[in-house]
Amino acid sequence: MERVIEVVPEAGLHARPASKFVQTVNQYDATVTVGRADDDGDPVPGNSMLSVTGLNVQHGESVRLVAEGDDAADVLDALEEILTTPVEEEAS
Amino acid sequence: MTTVTGVGSTPLSGVGTVRWYRPDEALDLPDRPDPEAVDPERERDRFESARDSVREDIRRAHDRAAERVGDEEAAVFEAHEQFLDDPQLVDGIEATIDDGVTAEHAVDDVFGEFVAQFEGMEGRMAERADDLRDVRDRLLRELLDVDAVDLSALPDGTVLLAERLTPSDTAGLDPDAVAGIATVTGGRTSHAAIIARSLAIPAVVGVGEALEEIPDGATVLVDGEAGEVVLDPSEGRRAAVSELDAPVVDDHVATADGREIEVAANVGRPAELDPAVARGADGIGLFRTEFLFLDRDAPPDEDEQFDAITAALDAFPTDRVVVRTLDVGGDKQVPYLDLPEEPNPFLGQRGVRLSLGDHADLFETQLRALLRAAATEHGADLAVMVPMVARVEEVDAVREQVESVAAALESEGVEYAMPELGAMVETPAASFVADALAERLDFLSIGTNDLTQYVMAADRENDGVADLHDPLHPAVLRAIDRTVDAAHEGGAWVGMCGEMAGDPDLTELLVGLGLDELSMSAVTVPAVKQRVRDTDTDAAEALASEVLACETRAEVGGALGL
Repeated sequence: MERVIEVVPEAGLHARPASKFVQTVNQYDATVTVGRADDDGDPVPGNSMLSVTGLNVQHGESVRLVAEGDDAADVLDALEEILTTPVEEEAS
Repeated sequence: MTTVTGVGSTPLSGVGTVRWYRPDEALDLPDRPDPEAVDPERERDRFESARDSVREDIRRAHDRAAERVGDEEAAVFEAHEQFLDDPQLVDGIEATIDDGVTAEHAVDDVFGEFVAQFEGMEGRMAERADDLRDVRDRLLRELLDVDAVDLSALPDGTVLLAERLTPSDTAGLDPDAVAGIATVTGGRTSHAAIIARSLAIPAVVGVGEALEEIPDGATVLVDGEAGEVVLDPSEGRRAAVSELDAPVVDDHVATADGREIEVAANVGRPAELDPAVARGADGIGLFRTEFLFLDRDAPPDEDEQFDAITAALDAFPTDRVVVRTLDVGGDKQVPYLDLPEEPNPFLGQRGVRLSLGDHADLFETQLRALLRAAATEHGADLAVMVPMVARVEEVDAVREQVESVAAALESEGVEYAMPELGAMVETPAASFVADALAERLDFLSIGTNDLTQYVMAADRENDGVADLHDPLHPAVLRAIDRTVDAAHEGGAWVGMCGEMAGDPDLTELLVGLGLDELSMSAVTVPAVKQRVRDTDTDAAEALASEVLACETRAEVGGALGL
């Protein structure tokens, strides 16, 4: 299952959005990989903060998410929510 | 007695025993054994138990930092923990071990690849490389059984010397144990220097390589007032230390002849509220709201701002709290605001110019939070101050905005009250029209750091013009004098919230110039209160007249005996 999503948060896929992304992947029973939508570079594992921030995806760029497993559809929905929400709710 | 000099960054002194902190010192790895001789199972166990200990260390460091300087500074440790458990790293290390490599070499190899990858990138990515190095070194020390200097558990009376300290290093320091810090690099406004100041740790930064000559175990005095590090200080010099540490005075103070002067604190983050109370500050003369906006991905909402403002009001239930509205632009980076790149950022869109222009939405949210906070239990003491005012039209526009926000809250049935409204005088323009500003406002507060920069046309961060950036130049003193007089004629009270206000050697002059309130880093509040009590208003006014008649900086220094 795959989905292409434009990254909305101002910080791109860094800092809190990246951290939330990885935490979310870990909560679901699915394997997720993420790569830049616009090139053929190898996608990276979505459960690694190092790999996800290493993609250096900026605000306005698009990523391709691929999910496999029982929760594939659910995890994609949850990740889409994170990647398309400009202002995060405060954790406090 | 050898003395080296740098930039005094916390105006306190301390004496103690030198401990050098050298986190970058290479950790020597033993030679790689023959892969056949490595027992992968045992190496995996060693790696796993090292990882468990490091995870505990990081959590402890996180909790301590959160307690001492707040959640924001502590967040760096959360990132460290995430890296420690990153599957890319962990899987890579385990696979390397399975190829017959010892745990320490596997850690070194795999971290090395990622550090190199992040080092080649810019901005945030380069910071990631620092984080990775930090986690790697913790793991290697654990595996090699090498003790690191534990910055949070230094023995009492330590003077910490280092090439540089990161914000997380500084945030972990125990202010009760550390008698002072001195660093080879860094400036007054570096993040580490600011944290040291808020922890009230005597600090001298930017000493240069001369600092390296001071050996481990030596006795030194760190004088954050004079910007000096003194090796083997004399008895006389040691005695002067205790003088600086004036006793805390909790009550409001008056001059010897009874003129009350409010001595308040500048506060830049919530963790500074308690120290300000503890140092006996009469409220807050400058509550910077930037901490709510910097180092994050999106602006804070109305409730978060409301909570921060009421926390400040509650910390000082009977004293005034002056909250400055958002002062970004210039050199302050807020990536999500998309501020324009400007050829002269200090002369561009900053402070109230953004609040009335491109970021009216942020301003409206902030005003809503402020007006609501004014209606809370201790809200009657709230005063709102607008930065970077140059024209009376700006003050009129701000008042219009305040009234429209009030009308909106009224129609929504939300409780609110009108706080005192004031402006910061930090442009020469504001000083020239201070009479008109005072007629429209409840108070003015002179920001001497920026006012000096603009009056003297000398960048406050530029060492090359440091002589020009000095509030004791006659031009700056005369700008202050005319502002105070105009404020009083217009019926407004007038304060000062720059570094100048916190210099005890200038207290008499400032009283003589007629300031009603002085606001400063909390550490200098006790010393300034003492000076106010020792001051006689008539003598202070005579001193002010003498100083105002001076034509050169040298004459001013002579008149003040400095």
